[in-house]
Amino acid sequence: MNADNPIISIQKVHKSFGTFKALDDVSLNVDAGQKVVVIGPSGSGKSTLLRTINRLETISSGSIVVDGRDINDSASDINRIRAELGMVFQSFNLFRHKSVLDNLTLAPIKLKKTPRAQAEQHAMELLEKVGLVDKAESYPVQLSGGQQQRVAIARALAMNPKIMLFDEPTSALDPEMIGEVLEVMVTLAREGMTMVVVTHEMGFAREVADSVVFMDEGKIVEVAPPDRFFDNPEHKRTQRFLEQIL
Amino acid sequence: MRDKHVVIDVGDGAAIPDPEDKGLFTAWRISFFGTLGIIAYLLIFRPDPYLDIIKFLPDGIVVTFQVTFASIGLALVLGLIAGLGRISKNTFFNLVASTYIEVIRGIPLLVQLFYIYFALGHLVRVPDMVAAIVAMGFCYGAYMGEVFRAGILSIDDGQTEASLSLGFNRSQTMRYVILPQAWRIILPPVGNEFIALLKDTSLVSIIAVSDILRRGREFASESFLYFETYTMIALIYLVITLILSKILSNVEHRLSHYERR
Amino acid sequence: MFKRIVLTLAMLFCVGSSAMAEKTIIFAVDATWPPMEFVNSDKQVVGYSIDYMTAAAKAAGFTAVFKNVAWDGIFAGLAAGKYDAVCSSVSITEKRQKVMDFSTPYFKVRQALIVAKDSHVKSLADLKGQKVGGQIGTTGYFAIKAAEGVEPKSYDEVGLAMEDLNVGRIAAVVCDDPVAANYAMDQYKDTLKIATVIETGEVEYYGVAVKKGNKEVLDLLNKGIESVSKTGYVQEMQHKWISQ
Repeated sequence: MNADNPIISIQKVHKSFGTFKALDDVSLNVDAGQKVVVIGPSGSGKSTLLRTINRLETISSGSIVVDGRDINDSASDINRIRAELGMVFQSFNLFRHKSVLDNLTLAPIKLKKTPRAQAEQHAMELLEKVGLVDKAESYPVQLSGGQQQRVAIARALAMNPKIMLFDEPTSALDPEMIGEVLEVMVTLAREGMTMVVVTHEMGFAREVADSVVFMDEGKIVEVAPPDRFFDNPEHKRTQRFLEQIL
Repeated sequence: MRDKHVVIDVGDGAAIPDPEDKGLFTAWRISFFGTLGIIAYLLIFRPDPYLDIIKFLPDGIVVTFQVTFASIGLALVLGLIAGLGRISKNTFFNLVASTYIEVIRGIPLLVQLFYIYFALGHLVRVPDMVAAIVAMGFCYGAYMGEVFRAGILSIDDGQTEASLSLGFNRSQTMRYVILPQAWRIILPPVGNEFIALLKDTSLVSIIAVSDILRRGREFASESFLYFETYTMIALIYLVITLILSKILSNVEHRLSHYERR
Repeated sequence: MFKRIVLTLAMLFCVGSSAMAEKTIIFAVDATWPPMEFVNSDKQVVGYSIDYMTAAAKAAGFTAVFKNVAWDGIFAGLAAGKYDAVCSSVSITEKRQKVMDFSTPYFKVRQALIVAKDSHVKSLADLKGQKVGGQIGTTGYFAIKAAEGVEPKSYDEVGLAMEDLNVGRIAAVVCDDPVAANYAMDQYKDTLKIATVIETGEVEYYGVAVKKGNKEVLDLLNKGIESVSKTGYVQEMQHKWISQ
């Protein structure tokens, strides 16, 4: 896949809730292997944008093409597309009635018809990667927030997605647990995963991002590489936002 | 973590004993062994008339159980369909389910029993037991529908989103993710409805189904031993509901394993 | 104010004096047994028994009040003193006489077997293995239970048994002959018929039941029933309610 053919192509997307414009003429391309970090004040539409990529939010107009398929076209199988888009949520959303191992194997076994033994082996490899092999038999309620989020990342990876979407993955965590989750995400980035991350972790953005997107009031205000974005932002609104949080 | 804390309390069945209660004198034990004790006392020291009464009842007990289990089976199926219908985005399905629940809940069970029994009689020739089961099942299906709906809605939306994001479609999400969790929340009120239904089967005696109550009434109408007969009937209902509430309590305990830290 | 007190006292006196002069007897009636006792279209409890007891009350000098009570439990209410007498087509049986007292008989009754119009059944013996219905705690139901091989089915009201017979859930109904006649010749005249009158060996009579030992009420009732039975009014009522 070359740069002319982005893996995610968002064109002129509008989304309103009643009279409120959550997304206002948003266009953004993400290339394969790229790490895009989206930041902005709360209510700026950054989470909404992320959730339109796998159609957890429907859009009012515009188009979103993922890996060559228009996700809002009734001809494309949204469930197949979603299987290629791993998603990590702010509130983890682990299946509470399943053990950690079963959380990881449920989708591969039911959707990809992966044999159980193979699915479990893959799951254990992923748990190793997030450092939670010893928690395989635990239930989500028995884990700390940080551990739950690491399991959630592993669960998303279990479907071998081409792209990972992160929706404020550390916002619900106690400060001492943020590090362990970011560490996993950094590793993932180093391995070349295409990532779109909505976050407030500026350190992570600076370290990992190829491109930082700043959103405000449903619009994309500025897109820039992290160095330029943080040290020399173009727009006034970006400057003001950075002054407030840094 | 945005957990929804939901307590569904219907409260017309019976008190479900707390499985964690390890005390020697629990309300359940006092009621259960007390009841058994009274029955034993009456049978041993006053065999006339209590032995005759209890000998008259067994086929009625069987009928009560048959009606209860068949009705609850029907009610669970109808309840699940009605509950899913009530939360469905399909307007037609939703409307049918909502109307069913509205109509059934607005008619007293006794009236429904009479109505279905005699109305069915004019349409198709069904045995009285079947008419009783259909009537009980349809009525309780409406109540179950509301329980199912509340149970399903009590599961955090995040669970649905996580499931959808993995590639499950809506019905797979319902089947693999939502219902297994909702079931745990639904079980106590369903158990409650189950016991309430068992008690309400005494109403079928009105449409001449020979359950425990009708057998007892037949005995009393011939012997004029009203007090003694109804004493025995009350004790037998109590033993049955106490046993059932204990069983439900144990099942509930087993299903809740993943909630324990 | 003074006027009001006088009025109240006068009223009390009137009530008191009439009570002194005339005893009130409350009769429990299960008004689901046409033509003997039932509720007519004006929601009044009427029927042969009602007319009979009203006449008896007049003759013996007591006030008759009728209270509609469900059959099942009607004797339990009598024992508990909820009313003075049960006048509800109660057949005098040995078993009942052990727990309650009966007035002089006022009506002779037999048990009738009702079947579908197209049925060839001639007697209870033809109904082996089939369901036969009767009202709970009635002599009709006891006759079904006594018949060998027949599956008895008890109903709260005889009308429900008739309806079940009408739609074919049961094969026959047994009840008192005036009631049977009323259903088979009136309400269900197109679908049901009386197959036979059952010979139970003994003649069955209706009496008014009172609580065991309630001699005061029993004497009044007997006095009334005896004087009515000697008049031509009985024939008049027979004609009015039964052989119309």
